[in-house]
Amino acid sequence: MKKNGRFMVGLVGVATVVTYLIWTGVSETMVYYLTPVELMQRVEADPTFHQVGVKVGGQVIPGTYHRAEGELLHIFDVEDLDDPSVTFTVEFRDALPDTFTETVEVVLEGRLREDGVFEAKTLLTKCGSRYEASQEELAG
Amino acid sequence: MTLLGEFALWISLPFALWGMVLGYAGGKTQRGDLVLSAERSIYAVFFLHVIASAGVMAAFLGDRFEYWYVASYSNAELEFFYKVTGLWAGQRGSLLFWALILGFFSSICVFQNRKKHREFMPYVAAVLQTVLLFFIVVLLFADVNPFERLGFTAVDGRGLNPQLQNYWMVIHPPTLYLGFTAFTIPFAFAIAALLNGRLDARWIQLTRRWILTSWLFLSVGIVFGMRWAYEELGWGGYWFWDPVENASLLPWLTATAFLHSIQIQETRGMLKVWNMSLVLLTFLLTIFATFLTRSGLIESVHSFAQELKIAFIFLGFMASVLAACTVLIIYRLPQLRSENQIESFVSRESAFLFNNVILLGAAFSVMFGTLFPLISEGITGQEISVGPPFFQRVNFPIGLALLALAGIGPVIAWRRATKRNLQKNFSTPVVVGLVVAAVLWISGAHHPLALTTWGIGAFVLTVIGTEFWKGTRARARIEGEGYLPALFHLVTRNRRRWGGYIVHVAMVMMFMGFAGAAYNVDERFHVEPGDVVQVASPLGHTYTLTYEGLSTARQNGMRNLAWQAIATVSVTEGGESLGILTTEKRSYTTQEAGSPPMTEVGIRSTFLEDLYLILSAMDDAEGVIMRGDSNAQGIDLQVLVKPLVNWIWLGCLTLVCGTLIALWPSVDRKRAAAESTADLAAEGAPVGAAG
Repeated sequence: MKKNGRFMVGLVGVATVVTYLIWTGVSETMVYYLTPVELMQRVEADPTFHQVGVKVGGQVIPGTYHRAEGELLHIFDVEDLDDPSVTFTVEFRDALPDTFTETVEVVLEGRLREDGVFEAKTLLTKCGSRYEASQEELAG
Repeated sequence: MTLLGEFALWISLPFALWGMVLGYAGGKTQRGDLVLSAERSIYAVFFLHVIASAGVMAAFLGDRFEYWYVASYSNAELEFFYKVTGLWAGQRGSLLFWALILGFFSSICVFQNRKKHREFMPYVAAVLQTVLLFFIVVLLFADVNPFERLGFTAVDGRGLNPQLQNYWMVIHPPTLYLGFTAFTIPFAFAIAALLNGRLDARWIQLTRRWILTSWLFLSVGIVFGMRWAYEELGWGGYWFWDPVENASLLPWLTATAFLHSIQIQETRGMLKVWNMSLVLLTFLLTIFATFLTRSGLIESVHSFAQELKIAFIFLGFMASVLAACTVLIIYRLPQLRSENQIESFVSRESAFLFNNVILLGAAFSVMFGTLFPLISEGITGQEISVGPPFFQRVNFPIGLALLALAGIGPVIAWRRATKRNLQKNFSTPVVVGLVVAAVLWISGAHHPLALTTWGIGAFVLTVIGTEFWKGTRARARIEGEGYLPALFHLVTRNRRRWGGYIVHVAMVMMFMGFAGAAYNVDERFHVEPGDVVQVASPLGHTYTLTYEGLSTARQNGMRNLAWQAIATVSVTEGGESLGILTTEKRSYTTQEAGSPPMTEVGIRSTFLEDLYLILSAMDDAEGVIMRGDSNAQGIDLQVLVKPLVNWIWLGCLTLVCGTLIALWPSVDRKRAAAESTADLAAEGAPVGAAG
């Protein structure tokens, strides 16, 4: 029985290490997934939230996209999906994914700077329905 | 043909139901006629699904755009090859394809065992039919019928997503599905054992080949997906910890654990409940992975659609299976007691157990991270996600521990390892590992994780290399053979063991390749024709890249292609020409108006590193393509150097070799099987494949 006890200690040890890894992993890498409306509210309530990395989902506003002259910097505006009056400007310093268009929904990861510009580190496009056409689209 | 296919799909429903009921009834009453009928119904369902699948293919080939599925995944111009493979291009076809392969495997299993292992077969047939029935119900009643009509005929289809028009993407999903479905057979045997009370290691011996087959396809399927991402997604990576990738990794992790823990049950009669739980868990995870890949439960780059009905049916099925199996295991607990106890903390059993716990820990962390957004939203109402950094942080240490066990497990003694055993087997490999790490450190590789990986890798390779060397030398001496024939005979005498070692070597190669990513180089340039840029490789040499300019083509015979713009870059290293690399932007006629072109990357692959070029953007795409403006050829060029990527693919190849060696029926066993089933052999039946 004594040996089994030692064995249990080993297994519990492994379980503890894995739990510890998950725990610290989550607390150090988690990001809030917010809508633009929620982000604005958070920042207003607590200005230090400007420093916090967040994930924001929103709709690119058509006609606002342009590229900074001579450098790899993309600038466009994003609005809230439910409340189009809430908008902010996004700066993204990287190559855009192939799926990016001015009509697409994007998920941005980065932080909202004090000047109100969102500095995006990553950009994902939501294209879930892109290749699953609705009946109406196929008819057209 | 398509109508006939739809009809066949409907007819398969009562057949599966019939087979399921009769299988259970036959097992209970031991009536041979019921069992025979249940087994035959499996052939029938498979045959009907062949017709149904042929119906879907016929609809694709005949451009039948009155069908929603065809209109959504094909168009008239699509190449023949992609029309044929349209069967598994989308959710609906994939589910039918799943049922088709499961029917195929089930038929093989029933045929192999038509005259043996009769105590298992009624329940095996019943369980297989239950799973088949589930998929048929999903296909027919969850709004995912591939034969659904639009109510009108679309003028043309929407075409296949250009990113899916890639060789790897055509073979990646079916390979994974082969792995997922093949695991249903061990699961069916496990349930049959629980039902008929034959709870020794018999069901494991009978399904060992199926387990290995499933594991092989899962491994290869996952690597095919990585290869596709590497070539086609255009960001230079092969793994993104995307929910869909994670979903395919989960059953692989638990199946790997299962492959190891069944060896303890076979040799020592322990861990019976554990193995039952693992086979159940892995089966559920294959269903979960199928569900996650083909529904939009969690936001993912792969997700195709959001459907609630199918989610409820899948989760309901998984919950019922889990409940039923838990009850069965509890009912059989007295018979599942261990025949032995673990004797020592330092033993092979112990190494296997730690391997299991760690693999499950990895699976749990991946599952947890994948579902974290859902969990946090459910508890706090606030969606919080964890990205790739989470998975990396958690799984790097776990992976390293597993890698070390891959070297420790094979040579540590069963029952109780003595100090002598440890010293004899591990002193040299530990020294070699440390020396390799030290040499790499001195030559400038200071990344701690990469260094640890390569050090541990060298340790494992030394352990396994020594085993091969010792075995070969001993055999050469005793049998008086040359070294090569001795090695050959050594491996063929115990394929299972040596095949397993080769798989361990494969894992080391892949881990060493993964660690290469610590030294990735990523540089971006804006270049005009004639510009020369230099990129230093972490291996010390420098690539000199000359941008030659853009050439364009429009509809150059390639179907569905609207235009392409090809950037040509010539590469030299130390004054020596390495040839020309191209990277492209392409636009397809099936793409939505205004949507951006696709990127094709240029890769120069060598044993030690890949040079990877991405045409990020063109200064004036319209000028180049529409007006052929020769003054508008400035581009953004991204240059990546990726050390050791090739080791991942070579590792996968090694893994296939190792697994095939372990799978191959050994000479003795083949002979024994042939003798014991001489009557079957006379009829030309495959022998030895089941055991």
